[in-house]
Amino acid sequence: MKPQFLFPTWTRWLGLALFLVHLPVILICKSYDIHSDPVDSGMFGSGHLFFVLTVVLMVSGLFLIAFARERIEDEQIYQLRLSSLRWAIFANYLILIICLIFINNKADYKDMLGLNLWVPLLLFIIIFRWKIYRLNRSLKPE
Amino acid sequence: MKNNLRVERAIKNITQAELAELIGVSRQTINTIESNKYVPSTVLALKIARVFEKPVEQLFILEDAD
Repeated sequence: MKPQFLFPTWTRWLGLALFLVHLPVILICKSYDIHSDPVDSGMFGSGHLFFVLTVVLMVSGLFLIAFARERIEDEQIYQLRLSSLRWAIFANYLILIICLIFINNKADYKDMLGLNLWVPLLLFIIIFRWKIYRLNRSLKPE
Repeated sequence: MKNNLRVERAIKNITQAELAELIGVSRQTINTIESNKYVPSTVLALKIARVFEKPVEQLFILEDAD
């Protein structure tokens, strides 16, 4: 099989670390009631820095987890990856369409579109891991 | 499609892990091919055939249902 472009295996742990780092940042900011809406606009204002620390950390973490190479990336894994991606996108757009129909105010629209930053990646990771777990469980003894 | 991999492996006396390493896939893939849960690509089938030095048709056999 021709090698597909994926990140090296170790980037999964880097991604997990980035994702875990963003959790305390979110919690601290929530408990001190710091808002992500930039009060002082500009490239390096506190609003933008907060945004970088939370959303960008989370998204790049999930991105690295999702697209890190498996230890042995063969054609079966490739097939699982593809079908997981299909289900993730499928579910994401189903949720999106349902939300579009039932939401009727501007602020909620923004939140809902914000979900699209990470929901497809998270769904993909969960489905892909679940499929690999199922595969390993289904193996027959030699 | 059924296959004779298990038998051929026994004749050649190699484990799933050894076969997997020879053709560069995971042991899981060999296992699922043997239990008819995964249909390998043509490239993989040809690689397996090369290991056993037999034509592909002797390893993988079409069934009526296919």
